[in-house]
Amino acid sequence: MISAALGTALLAGGFFFVAAGAIGVLRLPDFYTRLHAVGKNDTLGVALMLLGFILIEGLTRNSAKMLLLVLFISLANPVATHALGRAAWRTGLKPWKRNGS
Amino acid sequence: MSTVVILAAGAVATAMLASLYRVLRGPTVWDRLSGLALIGTKTVVLLLAFGTVTGTIDAFVDITLAYTLIAYIGAIALAKYFELKEGHEA
Repeated sequence: MISAALGTALLAGGFFFVAAGAIGVLRLPDFYTRLHAVGKNDTLGVALMLLGFILIEGLTRNSAKMLLLVLFISLANPVATHALGRAAWRTGLKPWKRNGS
Repeated sequence: MSTVVILAAGAVATAMLASLYRVLRGPTVWDRLSGLALIGTKTVVLLLAFGTVTGTIDAFVDITLAYTLIAYIGAIALAKYFELKEGHEA
């Protein structure tokens, strides 16, 4: 019962970060700032939501696999974001400035 | 309990629509790629929610593990491809 309540709280917390990332993707002005919203908010939000699913599931073999999934996502998602940002920088995409140009 | 999981899945699906807008409308190819990576990450939560609600979590955990690996390798490969390609506009 306590773990179910904690899992619900973790799902809500994860949704807060996912929603912040979605708003950032819609509203921010250029690729690098949007990547900033994507990389951190989405990693933390999805990891928190998976931890919530683990608490709802209980102590089984499936929840151990989900814990591996959390570890892999929190390693792989920043790496993919970094690869995208580096590739965009190397092909000459200029960052956004406030006064045009 | 399953009501909470269904609500979370609906919220994640709504956030995926924002990423889909960025995939369809993004001014550069990098915006489209980052939107694809976002959708790939959120699909993990959606699959696990489906497994939890329908009671088939045994199968869906394995599917999710394989899907995460494929989405990660795909994102890296696409970033490398468009980095090495000439004339990457649009």
